[in-house]
Amino acid sequence: MAGFSELIKNYEKTRDYIRDFFIFGFKVRNEYNRKSSRTYDDEKRRIESWLGEYMTFERSVKGQHTAITADSGHISENPLYQTFCSRSFTDNDIKLHFMIADILYKSGYMTLRQIVDGINERFEEIFDEQTVRNKLREYSAEGIIICRKKGKTAYFGLSCDTVRSFLDEYKGLEDAVKFFSENDEFSVIGNSILKFADIKNDIFLMKHYFIVHTLEDILLYDIINAIREKRYITLNSFGTGGREQKIVPMQIFVSVRTGRRYITGFSREHENFGSYRLDFIKNITPGGVCSDYDGIKKIFDENSKFCYGVSFVKSREFQENIPMRIVFRIEENEDYILERLEREKRCGEIDRCGDNLYFLTLRIFDPNEAMHWVKSFFGRIVSVEGTSDEVKNRFYRDVQDMYALYGGYEDDGVQ
Amino acid sequence: MHFTEAMKMTVFSEIYGAYFRIAARVLERNITDEREIKSIISREGFRDSILFLPQKLIPQADFSDWRLLMRTEDGKLKRVTKNPPVRILTLLQKSWLRAKLSDPRIRLFLGDDEISRLNERLSGVMPLYVRENFRFTDMYGDGDDFGSESYRENFGKILSAVKNHEILNICFKSRKGSEITGGFLPLKIEYSRKNNKFRVYCFAVRDGGISHSGTINIGRIEDIKNTGIIYDGKTDMKKYFMSRRCSEPVTVRVTPQRNGVARFLTEFSSYEKHTAPDPETGGCIVRIHYDRYDETELLIQLLGFGSVVEIISPPRFRQLAAERVKKQYDLIFGNS
Repeated sequence: MAGFSELIKNYEKTRDYIRDFFIFGFKVRNEYNRKSSRTYDDEKRRIESWLGEYMTFERSVKGQHTAITADSGHISENPLYQTFCSRSFTDNDIKLHFMIADILYKSGYMTLRQIVDGINERFEEIFDEQTVRNKLREYSAEGIIICRKKGKTAYFGLSCDTVRSFLDEYKGLEDAVKFFSENDEFSVIGNSILKFADIKNDIFLMKHYFIVHTLEDILLYDIINAIREKRYITLNSFGTGGREQKIVPMQIFVSVRTGRRYITGFSREHENFGSYRLDFIKNITPGGVCSDYDGIKKIFDENSKFCYGVSFVKSREFQENIPMRIVFRIEENEDYILERLEREKRCGEIDRCGDNLYFLTLRIFDPNEAMHWVKSFFGRIVSVEGTSDEVKNRFYRDVQDMYALYGGYEDDGVQ
Repeated sequence: MHFTEAMKMTVFSEIYGAYFRIAARVLERNITDEREIKSIISREGFRDSILFLPQKLIPQADFSDWRLLMRTEDGKLKRVTKNPPVRILTLLQKSWLRAKLSDPRIRLFLGDDEISRLNERLSGVMPLYVRENFRFTDMYGDGDDFGSESYRENFGKILSAVKNHEILNICFKSRKGSEITGGFLPLKIEYSRKNNKFRVYCFAVRDGGISHSGTINIGRIEDIKNTGIIYDGKTDMKKYFMSRRCSEPVTVRVTPQRNGVARFLTEFSSYEKHTAPDPETGGCIVRIHYDRYDETELLIQLLGFGSVVEIISPPRFRQLAAERVKKQYDLIFGNS
């Protein structure tokens, strides 16, 4: 108990543990070898405290498995938002938070001296000017306090933008916040508005919902800021000896199917575009301004048209202008399969090429990236062309392996 | 303008934290007592907050508390502040709202006039991000038309019915193209980012009573009529979902080849599932619970992993996969 706190100063380390508990729910204590076992115990206890009902513990011969489980399609609030509510602070932080607001409430604008005197008189607390000034500066940056200058004197007042005033004035905004609080990047901010207003999302549910993304949203501020300011960023990866990559950030790629998100950017070191998994990045350090950002962005926009997923690696076939071509067999009464192809395809066109045969032509850098999706049409794929032998052979091998896996060679009796 | 300041903000700040929220809740009351404080902490705090927070909120003899409350003569606790706390939107929250005003889906909730007034009010705040910052690589191409007047109208009627428990007369096209009309009680609205579509969970209503559960794609609705009838019975979402749940979970073996375990568990993280190590392969065994109506989608998704994933049970589900595998094998290698 001694020394343990359920609040934390640094989110990075905890983020990594939460992700592992959520994604890899079958690991045991000694498989978390990043730091000491005491660190593991503290992190686990803290996460248990935050997420109690979503934690499960099971025993096997390897030891106890700790997991976070949530059926994301049936929850009205992402439980991982709780983890953001755990920032530590000092006694002065919380005292000044409520006391400054109380002094300024319906009092118009006041000088620093007046605020300090007000606190000291009303609450019998002695704060020096510097401490209060720092808090006022911090809250001005947060938008809670408005600072106006008359001559050389600064006057401070409370912002009149209360959560209630917004929600009451714009009918429908409350429902919009409920929806966006569980959807898209930065949704946790929407949730913070709901919490301020003491309301909960009781209308919307999300399908295909990767709740774990919220953990990485903490990186997005720096990335988007750097894109806006056309700056370099350095990506620091998790793990001992975590790698550092300096890139010019371009765009965040989100796979709504596989649940992976990437920052794409240009590496000066390798002179190419690349994609970097957000969940592998520990933190981001903004760098200097990139003088030829616009030129790089123009090339990126041209290139990204040929990205099927996130790969910028140009296959030999692409360089030789050979498109990837997949032939599907679709029966007369299977219009829904054709509709699915139309709906899900990208970077290409579908044409009929014979009785019940359709070919999809893709002009993409890396045909290997399309294969995961192509295989979801298992049972209808007639051929795959325009890829390396390696990709083709892997597919054929996969078909053979699966045939063996499902008993095809034993009795050939797969009905 | 507050542009740069807003961008340095983070939601991982104590002002959005659980302890500040609990303190604010306590300070809403002019007079309170220890029991009420502990009850607020238990309700709104983390599991262990009750071990740490009471002594910071309740006055202590050594003044180690936050001095936000003082004890009255009759032993109650009185806040030191004159006024209840105010909840002010931060720049971060406003810049998030500003970004949302450019999202086509905002028009499902706010009228054009409200959007322009809100844009005006937030004109000094930079949007947190612009849509071009993100690219959704595999979102389906036939998402709902959020801008269409009829779609907005239908969405609005459903949203209102969900809130008011009103039974609606809905006419829609089923997946197979047939027209269905009937009374429905909308329960929740579901959105899928992959499909970029909304659908509504509802109960079909026959002769004033609930007959069965269902879902309706809002994009397939042709007409909605209000009935003015408010359903005053109880609706239990747990029961609703249980009625759609698979009778038996699908069990799969995931092998570690080609980083299969990490890929699989990330992609399937949105499912309710149970994972256990598989000493035989070094991979894992996963039991997946799913909505019966999503069975084909699940099968397709599993087959996409190729031989990295083997469907073990139930036999009927395994057979579905086996049929497709056999068909695929024949297409590539013939019937030999």
